[in-house]
Amino acid sequence: MKGSNLGEFQEIVLLSILILDDEAYGLKIQQELSTRLKRTMSRGALHTALTRLEEKGFISSHTGGATAERGGRRKRFYTLTNAGKESLKQARELREEMWSLVPKLGLS
Amino acid sequence: MIDYQLPKLYLKLFEWFCRTELFEELQGDLEEAFEENIKLYGARKARNIYRLEVLKMIRPSVVGFGQFYSKFNHLIMFKNYFKTSMRSMMRSPLSSFINVFGLSVAIGICLIVYAFIDQDISVDQFHKNKHEVHVVTAFSNEDGELLQYGQTPLPLAQMLEKDFPQIDQVCRIEDLGIVLKYGDKVFHERVRMVDPTFLEMFTFPMQWGDTRSLKDPNSIILSDEMSVKYFGDLNPVGKDLLMKFEDEYIKSFTISGVAAPFPKSHAIDFDFLVNFENIRQAETAYDPANWNRSINATLISIRNPSNIDVISDGMDAYKLLQNESNPNRPIESFALVSIANLHAASNDIINGISYGMRKEGWVILSIMAGFILLLACMNYINIGIVSAAKRLKEIGVRKVIGANRGLVIIQFLAENVLLTFFALLFGLFLAYSTFIPWFNGLFGRGLELVLMDIDLWIFLFGMLLLTGLASGIYPALYISKFQVVGIFRGSVRLGKKNPLTKIFLTFQLILAFIAISGGVWFTQNNAYQSTRSWGYEPSEALYVDVPDQSAFDQLYASMSQNPNVLSISGSSQHLGHGMPKVTLDLPDRKYEVGQFAVDAYYFETMGLDILEGRAFKPNLESDKRAIVVNEQFVHNLALQQPIGEIVKMDSSRFEIVGVVKDFHNWDFDTKIQPMIFKVAATKDFRYLSMKVRSGKQSDVYQGLREEWMGHFPNTPFQGGYQEGVFSGYFDYLDSSAEFMRALAIVAIILASLGLYGLITLNVSGRVREFSIRKVLGASVQSVATMITKQYVLLFVLSMLIGAPAGYFLIETLFDTVFAYHMPMNYSGLIISACFLVSVLLSTIFTQVRKISRSNPVDGLKVE
Repeated sequence: MKGSNLGEFQEIVLLSILILDDEAYGLKIQQELSTRLKRTMSRGALHTALTRLEEKGFISSHTGGATAERGGRRKRFYTLTNAGKESLKQARELREEMWSLVPKLGLS
Repeated sequence: MIDYQLPKLYLKLFEWFCRTELFEELQGDLEEAFEENIKLYGARKARNIYRLEVLKMIRPSVVGFGQFYSKFNHLIMFKNYFKTSMRSMMRSPLSSFINVFGLSVAIGICLIVYAFIDQDISVDQFHKNKHEVHVVTAFSNEDGELLQYGQTPLPLAQMLEKDFPQIDQVCRIEDLGIVLKYGDKVFHERVRMVDPTFLEMFTFPMQWGDTRSLKDPNSIILSDEMSVKYFGDLNPVGKDLLMKFEDEYIKSFTISGVAAPFPKSHAIDFDFLVNFENIRQAETAYDPANWNRSINATLISIRNPSNIDVISDGMDAYKLLQNESNPNRPIESFALVSIANLHAASNDIINGISYGMRKEGWVILSIMAGFILLLACMNYINIGIVSAAKRLKEIGVRKVIGANRGLVIIQFLAENVLLTFFALLFGLFLAYSTFIPWFNGLFGRGLELVLMDIDLWIFLFGMLLLTGLASGIYPALYISKFQVVGIFRGSVRLGKKNPLTKIFLTFQLILAFIAISGGVWFTQNNAYQSTRSWGYEPSEALYVDVPDQSAFDQLYASMSQNPNVLSISGSSQHLGHGMPKVTLDLPDRKYEVGQFAVDAYYFETMGLDILEGRAFKPNLESDKRAIVVNEQFVHNLALQQPIGEIVKMDSSRFEIVGVVKDFHNWDFDTKIQPMIFKVAATKDFRYLSMKVRSGKQSDVYQGLREEWMGHFPNTPFQGGYQEGVFSGYFDYLDSSAEFMRALAIVAIILASLGLYGLITLNVSGRVREFSIRKVLGASVQSVATMITKQYVLLFVLSMLIGAPAGYFLIETLFDTVFAYHMPMNYSGLIISACFLVSVLLSTIFTQVRKISRSNPVDGLKVE
């Protein structure tokens, strides 16, 4: 296995799926990320990350109904699996533990 | 809905490269974003964003050519073709073996040719300045023929340097035979005297020492080979070598460098390099302004290519200078040849520093390789057509489920390219592991296949396409032609009635026929050459190189005591050891002939036959103005009464007193030239030759060596059996005959395999027929006759065509390659005919035996 470690970008993608909740499909995730990261990001780059996450079993997807403004094409919605949530939690705990160990002086 | 505003081209592009299952989702997202962007930024910018997004989609997780696959579904079918062709190969291992083996041997042979030509054209191409450095050559009119000489007048280099600012560097090269001594090691060596620019013009990196040391007239640079010869693996830099020039002058040189081993493909090299200024010591009469003195090569380096024409035009001025001082050989013009082109041109350049590239070798080898390749391809075509009978049903099914003719053709070609690919790999392996080492062993060439070389792979790819398509296109076209209905009804008659199969087989037999007779003739010619008369008697003659007259006298005194020595002779030149040219002044023109200066006993000692007149008289003075000429001389000058004729040479008159039978001074590849003998002065004796009692050659040789060691321990012994002078040539002949025999054997194997495969398939296709015949009471003989009958006509036909064609071809080949070859005979044709017939008969025999032993019931059950 490639390991269950989360890359920084993947972590942010997972978080934005959580934030978007029911509306988490490709374009929305892309827009969410672009506003958060304050830089543009292509749909292709996002697709690669989503594929990785799905391979790792952190997210699952299902197709929704067709929408007129998309030329009649269906959306693919993403949701976090339990493993995804777990690894997000681990990542957060790791960070918080490390933050707690930083001497106060280091930040001034 | 505004999707008409989407950039159509990019949409198509995306659709083309995107994985099918992703397209809906991704294009949906892109389109949604597109419409939002129109609202946000306007249509123009939105389209640009869309284009950019599509381009950014080109990444491994998205690209899959999904649409492409569905549109060109036979690309998917390749996987299926691969399986079916592997299966059909496994099902008929015999024909697959014949095909793959034949093709790989043929490809292996083509690779020899490739390596041969590749090596030839890469000679001397490693020099960095090969396009800038030029050799000056001179054209001179010799007896009506314009010849190009690599030798140029001595003052030319310095003159050029002075007159043309466009020339960046000049270099003179002159080679000198010297005796070299280190400790107790004494050898005759050739040393190259060059200007210090030599190592800047040529790329010969040093392994030890410094190239700049060439400026010092007391230092010497060695080749790697010479360093090993004198010093083994040690670094000799700083050690001293003693050099003895021709006139007994001895000079000590300090080794200042050793060159790295030369690349394999080189024609220009050196053993020892010293500064050109040493020519002053080497030659007592050295005169730098002597236009009559020519040196081995003059090189100039021109960095700016546009200056080349300026210089070659300007050089005409030197013609006058040269021709005034040397009226005997007037120069017509000068020409510059760059180092990059020198090897290719060196066959036409006389006395150049580079030696020739034998283009005949290319042609002959390519023809042979093409021959074998053709044989192998024909095997494939024949067997391909016949064995397709077994696959007719498969083709029928393919057609029924929707394959059109084109697809069937593509399938067969794809299979064929696959098969050729296997053959190519195996052929590469064969060439690499066996053929090329064998070829190198035969001819002493360092051919190699560099697997990293991109050209090799281009060549292999070309071979793959060429052989794959050439051998596959006909069977593919032929097989794909049949109608489905015919196939399933069983009304298609395959192979047996196809006239092309017969034509191919005939053609194949003709090729095999020619190849076999060629092998026989080359072997015979070889035997002929080795027993061909040399025109004199080399077997009883020994010779030794002597440095001067006193050495000659000492050896003469001791060797004349030996009872086994029948006669002793002294001479300035010796048969098989070089022959200077002299120019005769005929009334109407100048005429160049070879010249030997000998004493009165030379003819008897060497066994030269005097046909007319007499040999020289023992009293040297009396025949000072007499010459003996050879038959060729008489023939060329059309002398009716040669004895008593007067010829003028060096403004003296000589009388012809005898005519000697033609003899070979060079190997049999060289035509016998007109030659004269004149009397040598005793002080000019450089060779001592002896006629010894038959059977005592080695005794006398031992004695001679011992005498030499006793008298001249510091001078290397250079002598031997006269019979040994062409041994290199005979080795080469043996090698080429072996090569021809090997090719003939390959041709035989291929033709036999083809024949065997064809007959076997033919018989197995008619098992039912033969079984019925057997049941009805046909005898084994009648079955055998029936099979044989099919092939008899083909055999007769192929021999009728092959015999004259082979005869003519090989004779032409002999005429071009050998100056003297054996008279042609018919034994080659007879042997190859017998051979092919016996292959045919034994194949039929094995098949008939199989039929006679088989149970007709099994044969009838075959579906």
